[in-house]
Amino acid sequence: MNLVETTSLSHDYGGTVLALDNLNVEIPGGVVGLVGANGAGKTTLLRIILGLLHPSGGAVTVLGTSVADDALGLRSRIGYMPEGKCLPLDQTAADFVAFTAELAGIPSTEARRRASETLFLVGLHEERFRYLGDFSTGMQQRVKLAQSIVGDPDLVLLDEPAAGLDPAGREQMLDLIRRLREFGINVMFSSHILEDIEQTCDWVVMLDAGRLVRNAPLEPPSDGDEVSVEVIGDPELVATALIERGAQTFVDGQVIRVVHGGVEDVFDLVIEALAEHEIGLRRMGTSLSSLEDLFLKHEAERG
Amino acid sequence: MVDGSDAVIVDRGYRHYEGERTGSRGAVAAVVREGYRRVLGLRRKARRKVLPWFLISLALITVAIFIGIHWVASSAPIGRGEAPELLPRYGEYFDLISVIALLFTALAAAELFVPDRVQGVLNVYFSRPLNTDRYLLGKLIALASLILSFYLVPQLIFHIGLAAVDDSGFLTYMSENLDVWWKVPATALVYFAVHASVAVVIAAFLPRVGAAAGLFLGGMLILNLLAGFFIEGTNLWFGRYFGLIALEQHPRYVRDWIFDIDTIEHLPERAGFDPWTSLGVSIIVFIGAVLVTRWQYRRIA
Repeated sequence: MNLVETTSLSHDYGGTVLALDNLNVEIPGGVVGLVGANGAGKTTLLRIILGLLHPSGGAVTVLGTSVADDALGLRSRIGYMPEGKCLPLDQTAADFVAFTAELAGIPSTEARRRASETLFLVGLHEERFRYLGDFSTGMQQRVKLAQSIVGDPDLVLLDEPAAGLDPAGREQMLDLIRRLREFGINVMFSSHILEDIEQTCDWVVMLDAGRLVRNAPLEPPSDGDEVSVEVIGDPELVATALIERGAQTFVDGQVIRVVHGGVEDVFDLVIEALAEHEIGLRRMGTSLSSLEDLFLKHEAERG
Repeated sequence: MVDGSDAVIVDRGYRHYEGERTGSRGAVAAVVREGYRRVLGLRRKARRKVLPWFLISLALITVAIFIGIHWVASSAPIGRGEAPELLPRYGEYFDLISVIALLFTALAAAELFVPDRVQGVLNVYFSRPLNTDRYLLGKLIALASLILSFYLVPQLIFHIGLAAVDDSGFLTYMSENLDVWWKVPATALVYFAVHASVAVVIAAFLPRVGAAAGLFLGGMLILNLLAGFFIEGTNLWFGRYFGLIALEQHPRYVRDWIFDIDTIEHLPERAGFDPWTSLGVSIIVFIGAVLVTRWQYRRIA
């Protein structure tokens, strides 16, 4: 069963701003990254999945249930961590998390027990009786994560969970997200920090201006099918040498894009070609290897 | 004896929940319980408890004084048996605590509706099996039960107290005053319908608890002044209709009607309206407040 399926999903705000444009995706379970620049439609998609926004067109199925048919029933199975502020600063962490468990339909006594356990999980057990107003940003983010999972959801939606965190806090948050997979909780989290997605997710959905750019598993960076080489000297000589060795090349100024098409040890191939003509190397790396490259390529193609 | 050196850190992992879920009804009940805690300052810092419990204490002390007066009057050798007729009873008690109740209403409505909205907590609430209508239902139940309790619990104590000090005996007094059991709740409902409705509408829009409570109290006073000015200070043909905006006075006028007493000439009465009109205004204010509040929250959600 897919986590989320959308069919011709569209949404506009007031008939003017098109947030989602004819989106057709099938997203499998696991940890899914929702990537895109600000305004790409990430939060809109998350809110439609929760049934908080009614789409202008199309349909969404989450965990096998149509959102239009049973949004409230679905929300018992989904946890949500909003991006912005969402904590009552005059409550203790334990009280707030227990209350959100009760909202998810867990009886009062069990809710308090689960709140304590969940706060332990996110590293706030000692601080659970402190007021949320006294918490640092990093601690507040962890409380937000705790409230999203305390109700034992099948799917948790995290909207920019690492936003506003320092590097250490960010790493802790990503660790916690990775652990959710071990607990059998599906995660869908939005971020515009591509590195976070690469470190955490096994599937990526990339949006741009409400349109789908990519919906595919995340592959390791080395699996890219192109190598980018910037040389000091005549690039045509290097390109010819590479063609002779069975590679396909595209020259753009001093940069040569090498499509190796299954040729192994392409880096060795480039080194050999450079050595043959005694041409210097300024930079070499996989292109289309990272999410960032993909994103930048898309941006470039879009102009 | 446990040796500390043997201690190990155990990763508890994550425990899935296999039990039954209470669904939307449980979510509404949770909103109601959280509403009680918020208004009464429970599980909050000590300073948050001061105002609500001060007002509750004041209402209870007042009723204790009332019972004491009746006890003294019934024990007095002079005028025994006549004094109770002159003493304040249920209707008058409403009048006496109306200022305290108005403050409690201002506090309760503001505490229930302002923080959730301003602190962004609604984002979390509405991601649970809880929609706008059910959220508002939970808030309304919490507000109604708190404010009606504020009116009714002291009245119940008063009723029992009067029965206890009455010469005719406890049971005789109770059986002779059965009408109290509907008159007091009916009056409390009218007070709630008008005062709480206005307080909630203000709290649904303002960003601060203090500002919402202040505007409610100030607004009630200003409407009374405005109504008084147009009814008695001008000769305009439409001046009497300003009697309808004296929202604080309508429940009092209805109360006098229900208890068949005549405390003062209320503004709607001075404007020539009958108690039925005041009751109608109370109902319209309540329905209007529900619609406006619902519109505001649907817009936010």
